[in-house]
Amino acid sequence: MSVRHSMVKGMQNSVGYFISTFLFGIMFGVAAAASGLEQWQGLLMSGMVFSASAQFAALEFWQSPLPLGTIAMSVFLVSTRNILLGMSMTHHFDNHSTGRKILWLFILNDPGVVTAIRLDSGIDKLGYITGYGITLMLSWLISTWVGFNLSNIITIADFGAMDFAGPLMLGIMMVLFSKGSAASPIPWIISGIAALVLHEIGLPAYLILPISVATGIASAMTNRHRSHPPKGETRIKANNND
Amino acid sequence: MTMTTIIMMAGIVYLTRVSGYFIGLQFRHIGELRPILEALPGCAMMAILIPAVRQGDIVDFTSLAVVLGMMWKTNNVVVSSVLGMAILLFGDNVISGS
Repeated sequence: MSVRHSMVKGMQNSVGYFISTFLFGIMFGVAAAASGLEQWQGLLMSGMVFSASAQFAALEFWQSPLPLGTIAMSVFLVSTRNILLGMSMTHHFDNHSTGRKILWLFILNDPGVVTAIRLDSGIDKLGYITGYGITLMLSWLISTWVGFNLSNIITIADFGAMDFAGPLMLGIMMVLFSKGSAASPIPWIISGIAALVLHEIGLPAYLILPISVATGIASAMTNRHRSHPPKGETRIKANNND
Repeated sequence: MTMTTIIMMAGIVYLTRVSGYFIGLQFRHIGELRPILEALPGCAMMAILIPAVRQGDIVDFTSLAVVLGMMWKTNNVVVSSVLGMAILLFGDNVISGS
């Protein structure tokens, strides 16, 4: 199948995700307006970043003056799953030029990659994922705009309450990640407990984030070490048994 | 400053997208890294979410509990979000009215 046809196929298959992306986009628009972003800034962010989790994470620290380091750290940490997504597509894009890959990977997206892996080899994966991404980008941009405009109506009710829209969406994403991932949730729970303790102690956000994540990762590594001991240790144990 | 932050965010997210693909071309065996990469986003989200919840009031906490419960049971993003938003918007009135 040609690149163009694969792209169209990706667009067609993305209809289901178009709706859920649209809803997330509306919530992002509402939350961004509550955080003090101008409409054009919210649209620019959605167009350039194109990542719900990264954008919602950044909004949590959106205050004056903007804590660049903390925002950078949070955006990077929640985006590390993109590294896995990219890795899973290694050698699937070999028939494309490096320039095209660098350009089109801009709209690499979770559902596009997940569904592309299941497709037969006749479909051009990069074209498919790009087609999928174009539709989601369109949905993301339109819904961000709708969210900003909807925030004007919500002002009449209680706009202050919308400050919590960001954490609410992060909670939904947590459930989606948890259900869609085979990884153990224990490191996440430990990271959450560490964050709570550090918050109670009164540490600033730029310290809470890395320390909590490091604690969670340490538990992930310990857990892995216990379930899969290094080969050397296994061999020694086997020899002793002999 | 806002523009700088948005551009920085875009750069970071884009780099994670591109780097994964090109790292994969260089290193085929990432068995040791995989559990860390799988755990990282969830850990980061928890580290951001928990302090935000702790700072919230009873309405915020209720909306989150309802949303998480609904998501876990139905996996329906639309229903869960609308319900959560409704609690955020009208929860204060219900509590002060009762």
